[in-house]
Amino acid sequence: MTSYPVMQLSGASRLECPRHTSGSWGWCTQSMRKARLQELLWMLFISELQAATEPHEEKYVLAAGETLNVQCPFSIQKYAYSQKAWQRLMDRAEPLTLVFTTSVSGTPSQVRMGRYFLEDIPSEAMLNVQMTNLQVEDSGLYRCVIYHPPKDPDILSPLVRLVVIKDPLGTTVSDKNPTQNLAQISTLPPTTTKAQSTLLNSPKTVTQLLPKSTADISSPGLGVNITNATDVTRYGFRVPVISIVILVLCGLLSKSLVFTVLLAVTQRSFGP
Amino acid sequence: MSAPCALLAWALLALLGLGLGGPREEPPNPCCPIVPRREWRAPASKCSKKLRLPVRYVVVSHTADSPCDCPASCLKQAQNVHNYHSGTLNWCDVGYNFLIGEDGLVYEGRGWDTKGDHTGPTWNPISIGISFMGNYMERSPPRRALRAAQSLLACGVAQGKLSPRYEVKGHRDVQRTLSPGDQLYEIIQTWPHYHE
Repeated sequence: MTSYPVMQLSGASRLECPRHTSGSWGWCTQSMRKARLQELLWMLFISELQAATEPHEEKYVLAAGETLNVQCPFSIQKYAYSQKAWQRLMDRAEPLTLVFTTSVSGTPSQVRMGRYFLEDIPSEAMLNVQMTNLQVEDSGLYRCVIYHPPKDPDILSPLVRLVVIKDPLGTTVSDKNPTQNLAQISTLPPTTTKAQSTLLNSPKTVTQLLPKSTADISSPGLGVNITNATDVTRYGFRVPVISIVILVLCGLLSKSLVFTVLLAVTQRSFGP
Repeated sequence: MSAPCALLAWALLALLGLGLGGPREEPPNPCCPIVPRREWRAPASKCSKKLRLPVRYVVVSHTADSPCDCPASCLKQAQNVHNYHSGTLNWCDVGYNFLIGEDGLVYEGRGWDTKGDHTGPTWNPISIGISFMGNYMERSPPRRALRAAQSLLACGVAQGKLSPRYEVKGHRDVQRTLSPGDQLYEIIQTWPHYHE
């Protein structure tokens, strides 16, 4: 008498096909494969849900060659006289410090280290970060920190998930920033803030019309943020928000569609 | 086998819908009436700079001025603040996006869409500035005023003016100032969206 194992859709199902006649064994392995596939899909689905509920990162999606601008606020009371740093979080290693400020005087300071640029404005409780000429390899997780080695750094908000995509149109985006020196240049600030603002006219995008050559995303919205500067200035502020919402919904709906399609396919291909 | 399959697909979609929910904080109808500009007889705003929505930060300050605890006196006080900002300081409008009175009412200032003049050049374009009318170094605002402020912020999220992950900061967190006063500062540090 042949007995067939009970199919379980989730959980640990130790399915073993009894070695019987070729016909039933064939059907059994097929069903087993189907069940395993379904288990896998369920696991993927659940892990997606879990990912959605973990602590958030701000996602920045930019094309290669563009410039990333991030604003990291800090407590003026606690950190006006502290050094700050921009770090990249690595998979199985210590976070990599890419650039750090050296001034502890409580006055504005700027530091450039290759493509990385930091501007610390203690009087405004803001740290401005800039990464120019982005490469696809720059994609990853970054953070602003209060830097006081050997103590562990204090982490500032937001965590930055950077995704750099290859420029689909092949047009290189011109970079408004000056030459990229490899040596760390620590510029002690001029006494007037006016001189500072002229030096940094292009990164400071929130208070003026966005320059068209860089895609600066300093006040990110709900998630994936691909706003064109010209769209914002031409159509007002409602269009980018709606497009962001639509993009997020489409992304999430497409995942659910993928799962249902895969399940339907497994049902049909392995079904009796 | 197609019926269970369809059922499974719908269950997936329903679960995903729930998963999409995320942090749901707003009650059924989160927006409560506030005192609009016309009601407190505010002159037309001459401000033109807009905020990029949704806004990520809320800066809480105090006017450090006289308090008011009745609707009539708070209406007068809102006018006073406006006169000071637009007249003496020659600003395009009252500096705050919203004012909170000890009468428990919210007074519309520049509103959700217009950049305020409440914190400084870095924070004004990226935050909503709300100010409690009074001086809160030695005393706290009454609870009805705090509730009014919380209700306002919940409304902002519901209307898409504030990011659901907005952060509340005290004025003294981002500027060298005593505002919003020791007592009020202690209170806002307990708010769920407060982030130093």
